[in-house]
Amino acid sequence: MMNIGEEKLDSVVIVAIEGRVDGTTAPELENRISEIVNRGDAHVLFDCAGMTYVSSAGLRIFLTSARKCQQNGGKLMICALQPDCKSVIETSGFHTVIDCHDTREAALAAAS
Amino acid sequence: MLTFVDEILLLMLDDEKGSFLPIRESTMGYVLAGAVLMDLAFANRIDTDPNQLMVLDKTPIGHSPHDRILENIAASDETRDAKAWIETISREAPEIREQSLSGLVDNGILESQEEKFLWVFRARRYPTIDGRAEREVKLRITGVLLSDETPDPKDVALICLADACNILRDVFSDREISRIRPRIDQIRKLDLIGREVSGAIQEIEQAIMAAMTHAHH
Repeated sequence: MMNIGEEKLDSVVIVAIEGRVDGTTAPELENRISEIVNRGDAHVLFDCAGMTYVSSAGLRIFLTSARKCQQNGGKLMICALQPDCKSVIETSGFHTVIDCHDTREAALAAAS
Repeated sequence: MLTFVDEILLLMLDDEKGSFLPIRESTMGYVLAGAVLMDLAFANRIDTDPNQLMVLDKTPIGHSPHDRILENIAASDETRDAKAWIETISREAPEIREQSLSGLVDNGILESQEEKFLWVFRARRYPTIDGRAEREVKLRITGVLLSDETPDPKDVALICLADACNILRDVFSDREISRIRPRIDQIRKLDLIGREVSGAIQEIEQAIMAAMTHAHH
């Protein structure tokens, strides 16, 4: 199960992810990112405070999302990773290609 | 549409001679096994995390070795991680290789030539007759490695496999490889299956080195 919340603060669209991002749920996240980018918003923040699990399929969607934002002149950031997910992101080196912040506030400050 | 198995095999072949670049048999096995799993993962049939490989959908993808392997994984009672499956599937590498090469010949990308040497031995060679597919693959790899752009996950997977069997040296000069090594190291960690393939190859190499050192003493 995964829930996606969305709100916009200035030019940044905050996508709050709750639950598991895996092969079953990742396509929904991918569709949401496509909708956001297609309507012209390319600065996106994944707030992962409620994300409990991320698999390889989920990580691929993170990368595809970062690529879409970049190709449209924006950027994807990630914040508030829980320890297990943070460990997966760091082991796979995703923090070297996507900006990761401890809190939503820190990410928004970096974006402004 | 080419599979990861097709694309990595095209990179492993010397275009003109049609023979394989010098790659250890065990390395080729792990790389082809990883390529099969990547094909299944990108077709949303399997998913992985550091602890397990899970089947999401048993529907065949239309490539016979892949579909048989998917069936075997789905039928397994045991939960195993990607590395364990890479080791198991690597034993089927000769068949995976032959099926892919035969598809590449059928699609007019390679031709198959049988060559006799020393009057009795036969070797099959696969010279390239349509180099567009391979050029496109090399272009994608160079595009990612020579830029800072966020890579496409498919290009990440292919770079992982190419680096694991050390064939990027056929695409780049030694000097270029040293220059882009940090970027290669960054990219190759991004795919879990690719990381497991590299890890399995490193373990074999270390075991061989240890055995050689032991034999010297």
